[in-house]
Amino acid sequence: MNPRRIRFLIRKEFLQLRRDPTLIRIALMMPIVQLILMGYVVAADVTSLPTAVVDLDRTTVSRRLAADLGSSGYFDITRRPGAESDLRALFDGNVVKVAVVIPEGTTAALTRGEQPSIGVIVDGTDNVSASVGPGYALQAIARFNSDRAAAMGLDLSAAPGLDARIRVQFNPTLSTVNTMIPALIAALMLISMGVIMSQAVVKERESGTLEQLFVTPIRPAEYVVGKVTPYVVLASAQAAVVALLGMVWFRVPFNGSVLVVAAGLALFMLVSVGTGLLVSLVSRTRAQAQQTVLFVMLPSMILSGFIFPVASMPVPFQVVSRFIPLTHILVVLRGAFVKDSGFGDLAMSFAWLAGFAVLIFGAAVAATHRRIAE
Amino acid sequence: MIASGPAAPATSVSVRGLTKSFGHVTAVRGIDLEVRAGEIFGFLGPNGSGKTTTIRMLTGALRPTSGSVEVLGTDVVRHPDRIRCRIGYMSQRFSLFEDLTVDENLRFYGGVYGLDAATFAERREYILRMAGLTDRVGELARNLSVGWRQRLALGTASIHRPELLFLDEPTSGVDPVARRRFWDLLTDLSEGGVTLFVTTHYMEEAINCTRLAFMNRGRVIADGSPREIRDSLAEPGGPAPSLEEAFVALTTRTGRR
Repeated sequence: MNPRRIRFLIRKEFLQLRRDPTLIRIALMMPIVQLILMGYVVAADVTSLPTAVVDLDRTTVSRRLAADLGSSGYFDITRRPGAESDLRALFDGNVVKVAVVIPEGTTAALTRGEQPSIGVIVDGTDNVSASVGPGYALQAIARFNSDRAAAMGLDLSAAPGLDARIRVQFNPTLSTVNTMIPALIAALMLISMGVIMSQAVVKERESGTLEQLFVTPIRPAEYVVGKVTPYVVLASAQAAVVALLGMVWFRVPFNGSVLVVAAGLALFMLVSVGTGLLVSLVSRTRAQAQQTVLFVMLPSMILSGFIFPVASMPVPFQVVSRFIPLTHILVVLRGAFVKDSGFGDLAMSFAWLAGFAVLIFGAAVAATHRRIAE
Repeated sequence: MIASGPAAPATSVSVRGLTKSFGHVTAVRGIDLEVRAGEIFGFLGPNGSGKTTTIRMLTGALRPTSGSVEVLGTDVVRHPDRIRCRIGYMSQRFSLFEDLTVDENLRFYGGVYGLDAATFAERREYILRMAGLTDRVGELARNLSVGWRQRLALGTASIHRPELLFLDEPTSGVDPVARRRFWDLLTDLSEGGVTLFVTTHYMEEAINCTRLAFMNRGRVIADGSPREIRDSLAEPGGPAPSLEEAFVALTTRTGRR
């Protein structure tokens, strides 16, 4: 690779970008519009939230309560840790969204006619489950109380039953924006690299300049580097706009490690670049490229947990969502921003992302290399 | 960058049994070509006859299915990179960056071919004068008229002083006056020692070539100077047909695609 030729390619690309002020304006306005849309408008129906039950009481009554929660349809009891201290890891690793803690002595207190407290903890980083989770829990517990009173032939006022104490973990103000901003960074990266870069490559093929470039001394690898670099800069600028806007205007707290965020975004950048290159390979015209991108983007947005939580999708779609790279970067970014999850907690997501990065970026570069050389 | 000394081959292009298939379609069927240094070689044929595919293989942009290609003494199939700086290529689409200015286009290609500052300044000056663009260096390429774009494309394709220049229908869509002017430029280049390999539709342009090859349905069906080709088709005792008539006769004889 000849750095001088790459420099000329990069400069050319920047000049072309500058000639298209609409594109730059859209690229930088997109975050703001998306923020407003996503930050304020999103709402969804949620069921089957993955839930952990910590039963410290270990009585028939406490087991009934757990069973009631499970059969309500809103909670899917996937874990039964032995201690409350185990919950942290489950939340960090995104294994559960809700936890119910039944303290020791609950049944005894009920029998004495007291009103013992049940702990309900929801993960505030997933705004949808956090906003509906507590309500569902309250409903389920209220039903448990009235069933119990009816069974004893008593009025609810005589046998008040359990009292639910809701606690929102990690994102106590339940601000949608707190979880949307980190998600937007990734989504916009996918869009800018997928749409804008593929358009740039296809435009070059349409105008014949691509063909021209490969009778010059430019090597395919130099072309790829020269093409990708300006868009990496653009995507980084977008990420900065979103993060800055989020922190200054929407007052999103950043609790995590910059290193985790950077590592996740670097892997996802490779995925996005690869997607853009692959789209440009299968598209002859810019209109075709646009269609192809839409075809790729739409399922990503809907199935990744960007808007609707993955946990409340039907199982087959949950499986599909694992094969969407955006799903994993969302877990990483939301975890790092709000929960201060580290590499250990997010190991699984990082493994998926690394796999996608190698697969998609590798395939794209190899295919581009071959296609261009043809 | 004209090669000097006795090492310079007298043969610029030598092609043997060149074939290219795309799936089931065979675009070029085992052609032989020989272009000598200093020639203006006209490569003629109807649309879809395989001219562009051939040129792309000669420039190393496309790998042949079989056959050998030697350009400027280099095996292009094996070492396409070695001839890049010694050849130029101008496509029928002119291939300029339309959203860059005249100057930016020149600067980009100058940089890509690795011209030093002094050489670039000299070449830029020459091309601007040659193309009549001296007053329009800041104009976007897309705002130039077709004739100007064509001359600028010729300039960018030859900015590195190639020994051999491939031109794929360089005059398509250009008005007759601009075409005449363009051929004057080509003649200048040829007199400066550049070998030209030109495809065209226009028979009045073919007359300007020192040698011609006719291609139809992936095969070379005639080869020689314009005079030789016309004479070969003359009725015994009759007058030689015009080049246009010869072209039609040859094409009809071998069938259309």
